Amino acid sequence: MTTTVIKQKRAVAINPIRACAPIGAMLATFGIHGAITINHGSQGCATYPRHQMARHFREPIEVATTSLTENTTIYGGRENLVVGLKNLYERFHPTLITVCSTCLSETIGDDIPAFIDEFLDNNPEVTIPILSVRTPSYVGTHITGFDNFLKELALKLPRKSRPNGKVNVIPGWVNPGDLREIKHILREMDIPGLVLTDYSDTLDGGLYSPKPHFPRGGNTLDELKDSANAKGTIALQKHIGGEAAKVYNKRFGTPAHILPMPIGIANTDKFIETLTLLTGKPITEEIEAERARLLDALMDTHMFTTGVKVAIFGDPDLVEGLVRLVAEMGMEPKYVLTATDSVNWSKDLMALSDELGLDMEILVKSDLYALHKKMKAHPVDLLIGHSKGKYIAEEENIPMIRLGFPVEDRYGYHRRSVVGYQGATALVDEITNAVLERKGSVISNTLLLEGNC
Amino acid sequence: MATRLKCNDTIPERDAHIIIKGDGTGCSIKSNSATTPGDMTERGCTYAGCRGVVGGPVKDAIQLSHGPIGCAFYSWGYRPHVADTDFHMKYTFVSDMDESNVVFGGEKKLLQSVIEAAAEFPDAKGVFVYNTCTAALIGDDGKDVAKMAQEEIGKPVVFFACEGFRGVSQSQGHHVGNETIFRNLVGSVEPEEDYAYSINILGDYNIKNDIKTFEPLFQALGLKIITRFTGNVSVDELKIMHKAKLNVIHCTRSATYIADMMKDKYGTPSISVTLWGIANMSKALRETAAFFGLEKEAERVIKTEVAKVQPKIDHFKKRLAGKKVIIYQGGPRAWHWPELLEELGMEVIGAATTFGHHDDYEKIYSKVGDGTLIMDNPNVPELEEILRTYKPDIFIAGNKEKYLAYKLGVPFLNGHTYETGPYAGFSGMVNFARDLDKALSAPVWKLVRDQARPSPVSTLDLEEDVA
Repeated sequence: MTTTVIKQKRAVAINPIRACAPIGAMLATFGIHGAITINHGSQGCATYPRHQMARHFREPIEVATTSLTENTTIYGGRENLVVGLKNLYERFHPTLITVCSTCLSETIGDDIPAFIDEFLDNNPEVTIPILSVRTPSYVGTHITGFDNFLKELALKLPRKSRPNGKVNVIPGWVNPGDLREIKHILREMDIPGLVLTDYSDTLDGGLYSPKPHFPRGGNTLDELKDSANAKGTIALQKHIGGEAAKVYNKRFGTPAHILPMPIGIANTDKFIETLTLLTGKPITEEIEAERARLLDALMDTHMFTTGVKVAIFGDPDLVEGLVRLVAEMGMEPKYVLTATDSVNWSKDLMALSDELGLDMEILVKSDLYALHKKMKAHPVDLLIGHSKGKYIAEEENIPMIRLGFPVEDRYGYHRRSVVGYQGATALVDEITNAVLERKGSVISNTLLLEGNC
Repeated sequence: MATRLKCNDTIPERDAHIIIKGDGTGCSIKSNSATTPGDMTERGCTYAGCRGVVGGPVKDAIQLSHGPIGCAFYSWGYRPHVADTDFHMKYTFVSDMDESNVVFGGEKKLLQSVIEAAAEFPDAKGVFVYNTCTAALIGDDGKDVAKMAQEEIGKPVVFFACEGFRGVSQSQGHHVGNETIFRNLVGSVEPEEDYAYSINILGDYNIKNDIKTFEPLFQALGLKIITRFTGNVSVDELKIMHKAKLNVIHCTRSATYIADMMKDKYGTPSISVTLWGIANMSKALRETAAFFGLEKEAERVIKTEVAKVQPKIDHFKKRLAGKKVIIYQGGPRAWHWPELLEELGMEVIGAATTFGHHDDYEKIYSKVGDGTLIMDNPNVPELEEILRTYKPDIFIAGNKEKYLAYKLGVPFLNGHTYETGPYAGFSGMVNFARDLDKALSAPVWKLVRDQARPSPVSTLDLEEDVA
């Protein structure tokens, strides 16, 4: 095997695939009913993520800001945060507030937890939880913010009482459609579960008249408190939620299972097996049927997907899951790219490559310009990733499967699912059809070019 | 006079930002001041105004942010300030500062970033470096680095001190963008061509190809447009913009600064125009033509071109007449557009801006009728309250506000980046009217209003159905 790991050497990032930390904490906060984020920094640090999320979810994205300016930067942001919290609380009446830090507030050294304490001391009528999450843009990526939020939540909210027989499932950065698929699996197996955090309805809401003050759905605070009493916690992304699962384990002694994202047959099998292991519930006929349909779809399509070369970019766990699925389809992942600087990720991908007999280049902490250069030198048939990859797909005239965050140039992708047997089946169909729609050929163009067919 | 909305009971300082015209107290609105923390403002930052609005459209400059990743990712490619080439839309560059750069300084990484970016894209005509909060706070001297980099790569490296915390809104970023481009680029070359009949269009950013609607009209007068500031413009065109005989300013909020600087240094006169709407576009052509003694040509162009679109506009006017509008835009559009909405027989019952200054509000005040609500820097609860209480037939605002309006069942038009567009010029007015009509007459609104539901208990006689 000649799979190699390549780390970016350029200083300048050209067409990055990653956003920054606050948006992750904001997204997670949307999964709690009636919760809202206040971003402690420049107004842009709230407004840009709001724009970005509105373009993906097509929903109202309400986030507050402490509107730090030149003066507050010199004298510190205490006054703005304390006043901001009060204004937000009195006008919006949230159930929980997340305070995100930013480059600005971290660099000037604002002690956010102390400011929150001061606010709570001076306003005894405020009894809602206020979480402080560290999210400067210069540390990690958007997934860091999500992960830090979950850790903070696991440390602050759960309260031990009586066992509730539930399973905590932490899906990580997924779409509302994925959350619905995970809830479907739990329901189908008759497993009482808590998906945290659950933004399936809050960020893919229906039209209700009159408009409710808070969007429908999301975890309730009681559910989150009760999460201490679950049978165990399953994190479905290693980079988001794994640490929180460990916190549950440490605080409450309940088992923590950190699994690969359930994309494709093998990874979904692992998730289902873990569910049966934790709960003793059998795999139902319907779940068996969903798995059988996925196998059937793989069989129906394999003559058109085998040997198709693909480049995949995105969040580390999503990419890892997709590599396994496309390998199950007989495709050849040539380039896989993530922006996260994770040694464990490249190790896991190397192991996956060995296991599946792949021959790929693993680009770590890299960007789309690096990927494009690779693809120009050695073309692939298909690109999988979020909307920012469209410039490459257009220039190279290859089909692109839109996946991940953000998908901002199409509608409805947030409602789709890629997890579970059903998500994989839909994705197998979509990928196969994209290959079939290539002009002039139902087989791989690169195979034609190389004269291998 | 200051006006109280119910949602502002706990933050009475917002009252001064909300007035009703015609209560005898004049245009006494407070504006361009610091946002109330936590009020859920729609405002952005100085970086956004500079990178996103003024610098970003320059089509052959490397758009490089100096800071951590976020600012560059969010500002990349979403604003449809298109050009005849797409380098500026396709690529974003960032020095990608991490924790160690924050501790030890980011100057070295910035220098290396500029040099690498210029080497990767040798066709680019310069590098625009946008400063962020982080780089400014740790004291990086980006200006000095830009100077060094410029010597190294032999092309302009322009440093914008547009860190997000400067100023109270993105408006400050427009100012920084104007000043920086003026000082670094304008007048840096002296071409020998004849510019007797030449103008610049300032403050148009070619949103969804607006330029294509009005540029041919000016050309039909016999005028040459040297530089568009900054929609569909090249670095080289910015360098020679001082050669124009007249500056025609469209967005006065974001581009009057450079017109004033050009007046001081080169004596270039300017006129303020509105390039949206039939009457306004005609007026703009007439005033521009008058400066050059081309009045006859103007009348000829206006007559021919208006004749082409008038029947279509009359058609939509019948459908739109009497509809009530609340318009909320970044700045001047809130006073540019009431007149064209009136041309379509519509009535403005509310007008607001995100970052307007007092002169913008005076213009709004002069253009709307008594009883109209005027708001400065409205926030989410305020917008929700006025949409509920004023019940406009349609709300014109931006992408963030769109989904709030939809959830409230209010028809909506994206005035910032347009729905289909372009909306400027005579032909754009047809697009504007058509989009308004689409927004108002879509079948979905009837479905929403009907509140029809499947009956919870079947009223069908199933047995009979089967039979």
